[in-house]
Amino acid sequence: MARYKGPRGAAGWALGLTGALTAACFAAATRGGRMARHPATPPRASEPPPSPEKATLAARRLNRSAGTLAASVLFDSAVEHYRGDFENRAMYTPIVTSALALAVSAHGTFDKSPAAHKIRDGVYLLTGVVGLIGTGFHVWNVVQKPGRFIWQNLFYGAPLGAPMAIGLSGLLGFFSERVRDTPIGQTPRLFGLPAGRVIGAVSGAGMVGTTAEAGLLHFRGSFHDPFMALPVTMPPAAAAALTNASLGAARTDRRLTRWWLRATAIMGVSGTVFHAIGVGRDMDGWRNIQQNLLNGPPIPAPPAFTGLALAGLAALDLMEDDSDV
Amino acid sequence: MSDNPLHTPRALNGRAPDVFRKGAWVPMREYSQNEAVDFVVIGTGAGGGPLIARLAEMGYSVIGFDAGAYFRPLEDFASDETSQSQLYWTDERLIDGANPIKMGSNNSGKAVGGSTVHFAMVSLRFRPEWFQSRTKLGYAVDWPLDWREMWRYYDKAERDLAIAGPISYPWGPKRPRYPYRAHEIGGAAEWLARGAEAMGYQWSETPLATVSAPRGDSPSCVYRGFCRVGCSTNAKQSQLVTYIPRALKAGAEIRDLAMVGRIETNAQGLATGVHYHREGQWHFQRAKQVIVAGYAIETPRLLLNSATDRFPDGLANRSGYLGRNLMVQSNQAVYGRMKEMVRWNKGPPSLTITEHWNYEDKKDFFGGYCWMAQGPLPLEWSAAVSSSRGLWGEALRQKMMDYNHQVGLKMVGEMLPSMENRVTLAEEKDQYGLPITRITYGWQDNDKTMIQHALGEMQRSLELVGAQDIWRQENDTNHLAGTARMGFSAESSVVDADCRSWDVPNLWICDGSIFPTTGGVNPSLTITAIALRTADRIQTLHRQGKITL
Ligand SMILES: Cc1cc2nc3c(=O)[nH]c(=O)nc-3n(C[C@H](O)[C@H](O)[C@H](O)COP(=O)(O)OP(=O)(O)OC[C@H]3O[C@@H](n4cnc5c(N)ncnc54)[C@H](O)[C@@H]3O)c2cc1C
Ligand code: SF4
Repeated sequence: MARYKGPRGAAGWALGLTGALTAACFAAATRGGRMARHPATPPRASEPPPSPEKATLAARRLNRSAGTLAASVLFDSAVEHYRGDFENRAMYTPIVTSALALAVSAHGTFDKSPAAHKIRDGVYLLTGVVGLIGTGFHVWNVVQKPGRFIWQNLFYGAPLGAPMAIGLSGLLGFFSERVRDTPIGQTPRLFGLPAGRVIGAVSGAGMVGTTAEAGLLHFRGSFHDPFMALPVTMPPAAAAALTNASLGAARTDRRLTRWWLRATAIMGVSGTVFHAIGVGRDMDGWRNIQQNLLNGPPIPAPPAFTGLALAGLAALDLMEDDSDV
Repeated sequence: MSDNPLHTPRALNGRAPDVFRKGAWVPMREYSQNEAVDFVVIGTGAGGGPLIARLAEMGYSVIGFDAGAYFRPLEDFASDETSQSQLYWTDERLIDGANPIKMGSNNSGKAVGGSTVHFAMVSLRFRPEWFQSRTKLGYAVDWPLDWREMWRYYDKAERDLAIAGPISYPWGPKRPRYPYRAHEIGGAAEWLARGAEAMGYQWSETPLATVSAPRGDSPSCVYRGFCRVGCSTNAKQSQLVTYIPRALKAGAEIRDLAMVGRIETNAQGLATGVHYHREGQWHFQRAKQVIVAGYAIETPRLLLNSATDRFPDGLANRSGYLGRNLMVQSNQAVYGRMKEMVRWNKGPPSLTITEHWNYEDKKDFFGGYCWMAQGPLPLEWSAAVSSSRGLWGEALRQKMMDYNHQVGLKMVGEMLPSMENRVTLAEEKDQYGLPITRITYGWQDNDKTMIQHALGEMQRSLELVGAQDIWRQENDTNHLAGTARMGFSAESSVVDADCRSWDVPNLWICDGSIFPTTGGVNPSLTITAIALRTADRIQTLHRQGKITL
């Protein structure tokens, strides 16, 4: 068994510092446009024409974020559904779709062509739909249990929020294809709205949802380690900053938001390390990997935050590239 | 030197076993026998454990004695039902009366940590009215404790033991959130929930003393269900892995395999120390205050055996109540078989509960009961099937094939106190040369009515969820209490509200034996809460100059 007992010394200080920064970020985000370094929008006339290269680059970044989310779901749902003994055949679905989403996202990330790709588009659409259907399945699982929507079933039944992670991967991928398809001379738009703002808002909302999921499960774990507070504080602060950006002025250098999103992305990846430590704290730790990998904290889950933070960064790019036309 | 904890003491030479690490030790303070320590505590279980820890943390010098072994759960506990009988108090005892109590695995432990080393971890609070059952509910006697004060000590006990329980508990006054979240329910526990819902009764996850997430050096529960034969992971928050390590850290000494045979009193009628048997010899430890926490059989035995000319009927027995009003709890069960796979042995055995009949007063008997889901291990199950249903050979083998489809509900019911149910000393001697106990027990009419009521209700619950081949186990009892009642006066009780004996001012009793009534829930959390209160009271009385140290 690992001897780790919680943050001490440097780790404790780092946690304290992160907490303070989170609070600062929250404060800044809720106080409105103050997070912008250059709050003034430059005059429209001096603006360079929209660049297709920039749109493609943003689209590729969105592919990357969709892929990160897909990778997280792929491994997480594989472990969790294996744990659930694949009792229902449908439990293979997220594994297949997230694997496909991961593959097309990798393709998209390296693809410099300025036009949407039919297969990628199809896979992303399918992935989004699977997310919705999966949510339905998970709700159905919970209502079958005695007490229905009680804490017991929210903690231990099929996680209600989890399938939306793959849904978000599909949605972001789908957005990426639309951004890539932007006609020359135009700024990227989604549903007639500026793409950067839409993607920023969607990633922010996704972060809030993912925070709720992490919060629920960390509450189930009684927040027994103070580090478990990070994923329920940093991402909401990032979401607030991102939403603030999505509603604020375009063509603004939002350095603080950018750094905060980067920090959140790093937190997501480092979450796997914390979860690995958590696995080590269960009976016989990593020597009993067969059991503890299934029952301990899910190692592949935290990078979902990374995927969403990356999407947020891509959205910031889009917002900074162009003013809303 | 042998490392068999049943033969050679482990807490020696300035060190005690580190229960969290194989082969490791923690430093332990040791006191000389000639030094009169502030407190000697006899018994290290639900009552003794917290007292030793708290008193040591308050800065007093304390030695905890236990006749049992100092186990290392990670090394000594096998996943084997038979080997774990090492945890039970199986010394000879005579049993008689109309309903003799089967002693041993179901009601008494012998280990550092006491019965909590193999208890089922169910950690429930009393219904507040039970502290005034005479005044409020019309039966038995009142306790000299106020439930509101107890509620605060329950909070403390639950925090100290990191109880994993539901977000909100359906019965009784508000309580703070349990420190850990409830465990996942499955198997038999889910069928209890469905049955209760079909009956229109509330159900809940049972608050349990085993962690659902890591805590310090305790990993989370792995749901293998060996709890009642000792938890080999340390997920179970027994006294052995909670209060005892705290006690050592605070400077207490633990003496394992140390059987206290007699409490010495002087001409002034004060206790001066204890005679104890360890490593083949009798020794004497001087002490300023003596606290007995050996549970409802061994506590009266020790006090009866410490009789002197001044106290001819045993210490603290002016009232004649010592050894009387022994109570067990009714522990009858109803079992059935489901079409579906249940796997009832996976996880702690009592994951869900309904306390409906503890809080519902429209009934034709006094007292209350709850029932919980069950998950006996295979040997225990085959013993129940063969003894209660008379099955043997091929028929038993066939029944055992249903093991994974079995469901069961078991009650914990309040039996009422009776002066006739009692512990006395017999002529026969045990391995230490001490007189063994005679335990006399008979059910009263109220007890029988309650048992039949509960059996009917549990059967209905199983029928409503479609269980088949339903049968009743009618003879089981568990959990001891009484024999050194706490009360309002020296004439009708053995100790006062502070657990201090009326007769010998530096003699205290703080374990399950002080219960005036036993309530319809498992007792250990109440014992622990009272022990925490007693420690605080001792400190207060000391500060007020009402205790000499
Ligand atoms: C199988 C089983 C399951 C249980 N499950 C639950 C449950 O789920 N929930 C619950 O609340 N309760 C449960 N109980 C009951 C609970 O464990 C006891 O009520 C509680 O531990 C009693 O506390 P105590 O301090 O009075 O005595 P114990 O915890 O029994 O401690 C007494 C200790 O004193 C020692 N001792 C006795 N006499 C002497 C002496 N003369 N010299 C030295 N040492 C001595 C003994 O060795 C023993 O270790 C269970 C009990 C058993 C046996
Ligand atoms: S089920 Fe949990 S508490 Fe019981 S023995 Fe196993 S790990 Fe310990």
